[in-house]
Amino acid sequence: MNDAAHAAPPGDTPERPILHSVLIHSALIGVSFLMLYPLLWMVSGSVRPADDMFGGQTSLIPSQVTLQAYKTGWFGLQVSFGTFFLNSLAISVLATIGNVMAASVTAFAFSRLEFFGKSFWFALMLGTLMLPYHVTLIPQYVLFLKMDWVNTWLPLVVPKYFAVDAFFIFLMVQFFRGLPRELDEAAMMDGCSAWRIYWKIVLPLSLPVLATAAIFSFIWTWEDFFGPLIYLGDIHSYTVQIGLRSLIDSSGTSDWGALFAMSVLSLIPIFLIFLFFQRLLIEGIATTGMKR
Amino acid sequence: MVSFTAGDAVARRPAKPGRLSRFFFAGNGAGYMFLAPWLIGFLGLTLGPALASLYLSFTDYDLLQSPRFVGMDNYVRMATGDAKFAAAMKVTFIYVILSVPLKLIFALALAMAFNRGIKGLPFYRAVFYLPSLLGGSVAIAVLWRQLFAADGLVNSVLSVFGIDGPSWISNPNYSLYTLVVLSVWQFGSPMIIFLAGLRQIPQDMYEAANMDGASKARQFFRITLPLLTPVIFFNFVIQTIDAFKAFTPSFIISAGTGGPINSTLFYTLYLYQEAFGFFRMGYASALAWVLVLIIAVFTAFSFLTARYWVHYDE
Amino acid sequence: MSAYSVSRRGLLGAGAGIAAASLLGLRPAAAQQKDIRVFWWGSQERADRTNRAVDAYKKANAGIDAKTEFAGWSDYWPRLATRVAGRNAPDLLQMDYRYMFEYARRGAIVPLDQYLGNALKIEDFGKANLESCSVDGKLYGINLGVNSSCAVFDPAAWEAAGVAPLAFGNSWDEFVSKCAAFAKGNKRKKFYATMDASGHEPGFELWLVQNGRALYGEDGKLAFDEKDAGNWFKLWAELRKSGGCVPPDVQALDKSTLDTSTLTLGYAATAFPHSNQFVGLQQLNKAKLDITAFPVTAGGKPGQYLKPSQMWSIASDSKNPEIAVKLANFTVAEAAGAKILGVERGVPASSGMRELLGPDLDEVSKKVVDYIGKLGPYTAKLPPSPPKGAGEVAFVLERVSQEVAFGVSPEEGGKKFVTEAASILKRG
Repeated sequence: MNDAAHAAPPGDTPERPILHSVLIHSALIGVSFLMLYPLLWMVSGSVRPADDMFGGQTSLIPSQVTLQAYKTGWFGLQVSFGTFFLNSLAISVLATIGNVMAASVTAFAFSRLEFFGKSFWFALMLGTLMLPYHVTLIPQYVLFLKMDWVNTWLPLVVPKYFAVDAFFIFLMVQFFRGLPRELDEAAMMDGCSAWRIYWKIVLPLSLPVLATAAIFSFIWTWEDFFGPLIYLGDIHSYTVQIGLRSLIDSSGTSDWGALFAMSVLSLIPIFLIFLFFQRLLIEGIATTGMKR
Repeated sequence: MVSFTAGDAVARRPAKPGRLSRFFFAGNGAGYMFLAPWLIGFLGLTLGPALASLYLSFTDYDLLQSPRFVGMDNYVRMATGDAKFAAAMKVTFIYVILSVPLKLIFALALAMAFNRGIKGLPFYRAVFYLPSLLGGSVAIAVLWRQLFAADGLVNSVLSVFGIDGPSWISNPNYSLYTLVVLSVWQFGSPMIIFLAGLRQIPQDMYEAANMDGASKARQFFRITLPLLTPVIFFNFVIQTIDAFKAFTPSFIISAGTGGPINSTLFYTLYLYQEAFGFFRMGYASALAWVLVLIIAVFTAFSFLTARYWVHYDE
Repeated sequence: MSAYSVSRRGLLGAGAGIAAASLLGLRPAAAQQKDIRVFWWGSQERADRTNRAVDAYKKANAGIDAKTEFAGWSDYWPRLATRVAGRNAPDLLQMDYRYMFEYARRGAIVPLDQYLGNALKIEDFGKANLESCSVDGKLYGINLGVNSSCAVFDPAAWEAAGVAPLAFGNSWDEFVSKCAAFAKGNKRKKFYATMDASGHEPGFELWLVQNGRALYGEDGKLAFDEKDAGNWFKLWAELRKSGGCVPPDVQALDKSTLDTSTLTLGYAATAFPHSNQFVGLQQLNKAKLDITAFPVTAGGKPGQYLKPSQMWSIASDSKNPEIAVKLANFTVAEAAGAKILGVERGVPASSGMRELLGPDLDEVSKKVVDYIGKLGPYTAKLPPSPPKGAGEVAFVLERVSQEVAFGVSPEEGGKKFVTEAASILKRG
């Protein structure tokens, strides 16, 4: 445990025998394959002809390889998937910024400040996690309709700036509470304002959880389909997920090849986001050099 | 909520009279300033629709016509004559009880493994997170069938051993378990949160323990686990709430039917069917608020026990 | 909603709303006098064709603007319901035969009788067709394609098993013995003559009609009894026993979608979809498929009927219903529009349009048109309108059929189904 990755470059410490590391890696590769099998199938599905998709074969190897689906998928709808990618990207970036900012501010209040009614508000905040969205969908739709927000991105983005997703608040609360109290007290002695404590002490020490929140909020916004499905009417404003779902009509003809092809492509941006932020998550703490 | 307000150093400090900033800092001003965005969002965006759904739970509302007040009818029906409600409850509880611990153990074990120095670590981490990226993609339905249908991969493997497996995904005795496997397979989010928690544990504590000659096992139980409890608590509460509200897996894999024979009829899927399939939004709202009650009781209980096993630095 | 005023003040006060709006560059255009919105479900091809038809209409009628939207079947209904609930329904919307009754009886769509003969020139659809788009005697839908239940099969697979496939006029007994023979002659593993259609509501309904019963009576109550339902389950239990139809866990893979059909998945040589799905089914199957009618009762009555695959309906909230009707009329009754839509939604109801499209049909579509043409002697008159709750009853049929397949006796299944169905209808 002492050789946690940030310290030395990760790698075989001298005392670890070769055999040991071969075993570890074969186990990891084996599990990786299980993890990846459905994804590999997805890639293979994206290069199969439609009549070779469902016929009961479990082989990963398609009988015929065609890249047609990438073309028909990308250009098949009136608007190209490029537009959907840009829309998704814009919405996800805006939502992520809002989520991380608003949730961290709120979490700071809940974890480091005292005020009247804190427990009450905290309980209500958790309560918002519990109500299935299906039953608030229509009242919410009516609300946004009256605000003239339907058919814009606003219902998908603006609420994030008001920390409506309690998951992120609760997550950050748990991490902020773990930061040493003495830091606040020392800062207070120096006459620091609450804002400075938040900005100069809590945030810099919380890079791992901020990175985590950023990963999740980006990925979940990217993957969300119910919100966009209800609020976006114009195909030019569609997100990738709605574009994907438009390829499938379960009552009639569907373009499954295109679905798989575009699904594969839609994973690339969020995979890159994950790779980028996981570095922050892993290395973040090393750069701050937190000591007690 | 319980156990929450204790031990804030800031609050215990008496405010110096006459110093306005001190007053604000120790008093309510700063708290509410920081709470403001959430409070606006809550009062302006979340509360209204939630209260509206609470009201609708006392009505007969078919979406297309105006709601009609019916008092407690919906709740009475749920308590007395709804076999599907009971079926959905059972499915949901089994799902919660199985999927949450399995997923968390899996996530924690891999987060621990990934917190050590193994060559190619970022690669494995990414690979293990990939399934979670698929989320609720339509493609999941097809992929899961490729694994668990009569002629899927699992049965191909079993046939090597001479076992002729059933069609797991569509056999009412097993179908729910394939959804549990799906949930465990997508263990990426709690894993990342655990990882973040592990990164937050100060390294010097391990260094000190090493110098004292503490064994790895002892370090795990004395340092890692206690310091990770806030994160374990978080993952536990969140995963349980999520599992109670699980919708997408069954919606996608059973194509919204909850079949075969209601074996994958998650509570929220039932609620969705009632609302949008059978035009009973009033009843669906009542179902939703009963679920809120169940989850709230569970969560309150978790917070009560948290005093005894969750360690904060305070 | 009290929250509305609070949030609006809060947001706009902070300038966030305005700033974000201009940042996103997306403001909804104010509705104009002659704007209508059109919404349907379907594939990209349908979207392409419909958009082209709408554009053609706009070009021919200056000053009219029509915005279009589409979604897949399963996304369509929650999206439509939300919009209707928010009093923001699209003017012209695609309607399904089953949902028509729910929407019409709840006043979400309007009767179209007043437009007949003026904005709506569909007299040549014929009386039977107009009736199939009516609820309680009033016209609520404009037929977009004629449809019926059918049997779709893989002739080569049947041939390989050494059995002649299902054909027009085969009796249920013949069907059962053919399937049993298939089981004997078949060499493919985990492969069966037919899907298990015991939970398939259209199949059950036409079987009831063939036997002199019906699913629902004029009074909106069940028009069959426990014994009828039990016999239906027994018919399929026999097939299951002889290995003629797929086993229960394989049938449960079928979610009534084309990609999950046991035919597509390679477990069965026969399936029972709707005729308008034939083209889509063929796309997913390597084998060349053929289409024919359901089996009949020996000496019995015809049981199948023609119904719309989908219709145009007009929302009650529409401010420009007449424009919507005219646009709909353009797509089904005017050569320019109908030619663009083609037979993608099913066989056109207008005989004139059918003739017009005839020469352009591809081989697969032609099979469907021929099938509908040949179906005449096997069709009965339209059954009474299904009552509220009929959709849920279809769900129950599927579930009870699975219970029977997995072990409950057919008699008990019949009892269970009738009891539950009756209680659903009572609740409405």
